[in-house]
Amino acid sequence: MYALRRAKTWEISESEGSDAETKPDLNCDEKSQTVTVSTDHKSETSPSSAAKTESGQSALSPPRPERRGTPSPARKRRSKEEIEADRQTAREKKEERERQKAARAREKEERKREQQRRREAAENLKSLRPENCLKSLTVCVDPALLQQDGSDILLDTLAAFEWRFSIESQQLPRSITWTRDLPQGDDGKGSVEEEQVVLVLDLTDFMDMVISVKKMLDSEGEETEVGSFLGPLLECLNRDAKKVVTLLVTDSQTDYRTDICGFDLLNETLQSKLGMENLDIEAVLVYLQLCKNISLVLLDGWTDVTNHVCAVTKALSKRPFKLLTERAELPFCVDGSWASGARVERDGSGLIQVWSKQIQQLNRVSPAVASTVTAAYPSPQLLLQAYQSLSSEEDRKGLLAGLLVKSGGKERRIGPEISARVYRCFTAQNPQLVLD
Amino acid sequence: MPAPEPVRLGRKRAVPSCPNPLFLRWLTELRDEAREKGLKTQYSYQKAISSLSKYPLPLQNAKEAKILQNFGDGICKLLDEKLQQYYRENGSDTPIHSLPEEAPPPGRQDNNSLAPSRKKNAAGGEGKDRGGGGGGGRKKKRSTCPRRGLAVTPILLTLYRQSQIPGSKGYMFKMELQAEAQHLCDKSFTAPDLGSKYTAWSSVSTLIQKNLLVKTHNPARYSLTEEGLALAERLEAAEQATKDGAEGEREELRSEGEEEEEGGPGVVDLTGSDDDEEEEEEVRVQPAERPTCVAPPRSDGDGVSGKPQISQATSRNPNAGCLLPGSYEIILCVDFIETTGGSHHRKQELVKELQRNGVNFDVRKLNVGDFLWVAREKVAPVPGQLRAPTGRELVLDYIIERKRMDDLCGSIIDGRFREQKFRLKRCGLRRPVYLVEECGKAAAHMSLPEATLQQAIVNTQVVDGFFVKRVQDVRESAAYLTVMTRYLTKLYQNRTLTCRSRELDGDGGSDEEERGTPSCSLMSFAEFNHGAIKNKCQTVREVFARQLMQISGLSGDKAAAILEHYSTPH
Repeated sequence: MYALRRAKTWEISESEGSDAETKPDLNCDEKSQTVTVSTDHKSETSPSSAAKTESGQSALSPPRPERRGTPSPARKRRSKEEIEADRQTAREKKEERERQKAARAREKEERKREQQRRREAAENLKSLRPENCLKSLTVCVDPALLQQDGSDILLDTLAAFEWRFSIESQQLPRSITWTRDLPQGDDGKGSVEEEQVVLVLDLTDFMDMVISVKKMLDSEGEETEVGSFLGPLLECLNRDAKKVVTLLVTDSQTDYRTDICGFDLLNETLQSKLGMENLDIEAVLVYLQLCKNISLVLLDGWTDVTNHVCAVTKALSKRPFKLLTERAELPFCVDGSWASGARVERDGSGLIQVWSKQIQQLNRVSPAVASTVTAAYPSPQLLLQAYQSLSSEEDRKGLLAGLLVKSGGKERRIGPEISARVYRCFTAQNPQLVLD
Repeated sequence: MPAPEPVRLGRKRAVPSCPNPLFLRWLTELRDEAREKGLKTQYSYQKAISSLSKYPLPLQNAKEAKILQNFGDGICKLLDEKLQQYYRENGSDTPIHSLPEEAPPPGRQDNNSLAPSRKKNAAGGEGKDRGGGGGGGRKKKRSTCPRRGLAVTPILLTLYRQSQIPGSKGYMFKMELQAEAQHLCDKSFTAPDLGSKYTAWSSVSTLIQKNLLVKTHNPARYSLTEEGLALAERLEAAEQATKDGAEGEREELRSEGEEEEEGGPGVVDLTGSDDDEEEEEEVRVQPAERPTCVAPPRSDGDGVSGKPQISQATSRNPNAGCLLPGSYEIILCVDFIETTGGSHHRKQELVKELQRNGVNFDVRKLNVGDFLWVAREKVAPVPGQLRAPTGRELVLDYIIERKRMDDLCGSIIDGRFREQKFRLKRCGLRRPVYLVEECGKAAAHMSLPEATLQQAIVNTQVVDGFFVKRVQDVRESAAYLTVMTRYLTKLYQNRTLTCRSRELDGDGGSDEEERGTPSCSLMSFAEFNHGAIKNKCQTVREVFARQLMQISGLSGDKAAAILEHYSTPH
C-alpha cells in the first residue's frame, strides 16, 4: 500500500514538481517540450525540487536518487547545451518564419497599394477623357446675359447636352467662364478656373469699345476714361494676365434680305460718324491682340453664340487628356496617315505589309524601293541574318545597294546611300545616331 | 602616339609629314621636271603640292584627290597612272601611305602605317590664317573653287579644342561648329564660292564617311570619334609646333594677304586675325544665312593657337550679339508660296495690297508658316560692290499660318492640319497665329459641315494655344498684315535685341514675358529657318518609333513608352 501510495504521490508530485521547477522561460516558449525536458531537468535540480516537493511529499525523495542515477553525466551536460542550442535554433527558426511572414505581408500590402495606385491613376486618366471630362466642367454664365432676347437657347442647349452650368455674377460682366473639377487628390476635390473667357457684346457695345481703344492709342498711354466696356475688361486682365478673352460680337441688325452683315454696318458707322478708316479699326484689333491677347468673332445671334460656347466647352474637355498623353519627345507629329498601321491577321498575313511600311519610314524611301527590299528579305530577321553572314562593315552597308527597283517602267538600283541608311537603322547601338 | 615633332633650329617650319607621301613625292618629281624645263606647269604642281600637304587624311586613289583644291583632271590622271604603275611594280596590295624605301628623317616617327599619320600643317602653317599659303611665303592667290577637302583640319581642330575644355559638352552644334571653325578656315562655311556647290561644310560628310566624326541627335550634334580624336591630337601638336616657329612668317604673309584681299560677293573672310578689323567684321558682307551673332573676332593677333575661350565667344565682344535701337528695321516676310501657284490672281492680290499699303516686306522661302517678321540690320551699301550687304536678321516671335476655309477643309481631311500645327508649335517662335480667311463664307460650299470647321478653329485656340484671327477676305488679310507690321515696328522702336541661339540656349520661358512687352531675345532667322525644315535628318530612335507605329494598334504614346526601354531596333 505504501508502495502504491508512494507511486501515486510520486506521480502526482512529479508533475507538480515538474511544473514548479521548470524554468520559467522554458515554460513560456516550449510548452510542448516541457514534460520531456523537465524530467531531465528535474534530475539536475533535484535539491530544489526535492525541497519543493518535500513540502508536499517527503516520500518523493527515494525515487529521485534513482532518477538521478539513471542519466549518465555526459548526457546531462550535453542535454543542457542541447537544450540551449535547441532553444536557440527554435527561436531563430521562429523568428525567421515570422520575418518571412511579415515580409510577405508587406509585399502583399505593397502590391495592393500599387494596384490601388494604378487603379486610381487609370481612373484619373479615364476621368480626363473628353467624354468624362465634360462631366467635370461647369459653364458659368453671367445673369446679365440671360436678360437678352434669344439668350435662352444657351441654357436650353447646355441642358440638352446634360452639361453642368451655373448662373452667377462674373468678375467680368456679361461674360461666360468655365470651371473644371480636378480629379480627386489627397487634399480633396478642388476646381480650377479655365483661362478662356467669352465676352458677349452687341454691336453698339463693341463700337463703344473700339472708340475707347482708339482714344487710348491716340493719347499714347495717357490715362483717358476708358468707357464702360473697355474698363472692366482691362481690369479683369490686369488681375489675371493669363486670361484669354474672346469677344463675341452679336449683330442682331443683320438685314437678312440684303445680306449686309453687321460688320459692314459697323464699318460704315465708324467711318462715317467718326472718320475712322478701315485700318484704324484694324489697328484697334491688332492692339487687342498683341497687348491683351483678345480675339474677336463676329456672330449673327444667340444661336451662334451658343454654338461657340459649346465648341469651347468641347475643346476644354479635350485638353487635359491631350496634354497628359501628348508625348513631346517624339520629334514628329504622331497623327498622320502614315501612322495608321497595317492590319495583321492571326495567321500572319499582313506582316509583310507592316515590314514594308516600316522600311518606308526612312526618309526618301518609296514604296517601290520598300517592296524590292521585302521581296529580297521578306522579314526583318532574314535581313539581319544576311547582315550577320557578311563579315565586313562595307559589305553590310552595301548589301541592298544593288537591288533593282522597278518603277514606272524604269529600273534603277537602290543605291549605296539608302542601303547604308537601312543598315545603320537596324544595327546601330546609338539611338541618337543620325542616319541621313 | 607619336610625340610632337621637335622644332628644328634655324628652320621656321618643321618638316612636313604627310599621309600621302607617294603622291607628294610624285608631284614633287613632276614639279621639279617642269621647273627644269622652265614650264609653267611647275606652278600647277606646286599648288597641288601645297594643297596635298595640308590634307591630313590618307587618300585611297587619285580620284579621291579630286576633292582637293588645285587637283584638276590632268594631275589626277597623271597620279593615277603613276599609282597603277606602282601597283604593277610592287603588287596591288602595297600600302601607299608609307614610303618603305625612304629612311625616316631624324626626329620623325615611324611612318609605316595606313592610319593617317601626323599631318603637318606646316606648309600651310605660316599661312594658316589665310589658308592655302604656298611653300615659303609665296603670294597666295585666292582661288576660285574650294574643294571638299579643305576644311577638314579646321573642323577637327575646333572640335578637339572644345573637347579639351574641362566641362565641355563633348559635341558641337552645326552653327557653333561653323562659327568657330570659320576662324581657322579661309573658305566660307555657308557661302559657296563661284562655280562650285561646295562650301567648307562639305568636308563634314567626308569626315563622317571616314569615321572621324559622328553626327547624332536632332538638332544635329557633331563629335569626334576615337580615331578622329587621335588625329586631331596630332594635328594640334603639329599646329603648336608650327606656330612657335612661324610667327614671323605669318606676319609677313598677313600683310601680303591683306593687299590681295577682295571680298567676293557672298564670300566673307571671317578669319579676323587682325585687330583693327574687329569693328568692321560685325557689319561686313554677310550672306543672309550667316549666323552672325555668335562669332566675334579674335581680339589678339594670335592666329591659330588653341583658344579655350572660343566657345564662350559671345561674352567677349559685347556688341557681338546685339542689335541696337535704330540700327534695324522690322520687315514682313512672306512665304513665296503665298505669292505663286494656286489661283494666280488671288495670291498676287495679297502682295499688291501690301505694296499699296507701303509695307516693308520681303518674299522668301519659309520652311514653316506663311508670314513672319524679322528685325533686319540696316546696313549701308559699300561702295564698289554690286550687291548691298545683308545685315543680320533676327526673327520676331510672331508667326502666321494663313488658311482659307477651303484650305482648312482640305487639310483636315488629308491630315495635314495637325501636322502643320505640330510644326508651328515646335518652330521656336512663341506666338503662333492662325489667320482664317473667308470666315463669313457660305458653309454650304465646303466638304465638311460648318460645325466641324468651327470646332477645329476653336480647338486651335483653346487646345493648341494659337491666337485665331478671323477675316473676311484677302484684302482684310492684307490690312491685318499691314497693321501688324506697323504696330510691331512701333513696339520695337527703342529696343535692344539680342541674339538667342536655340541650339545653345534652349527655348526659354515664354510665360515670363508680359503680353505687350515684346520679347527682345530672339533667334536668328538662319537658325530658325534651318531648324524648321520639313524632312530633317532622322535619328535611329526616331525611325524606330515610326516603325513601331506601323503595327496596328500601336499609337504614338505607346511607341514612346517602348522607346524608354528599348531605344533602337538592335
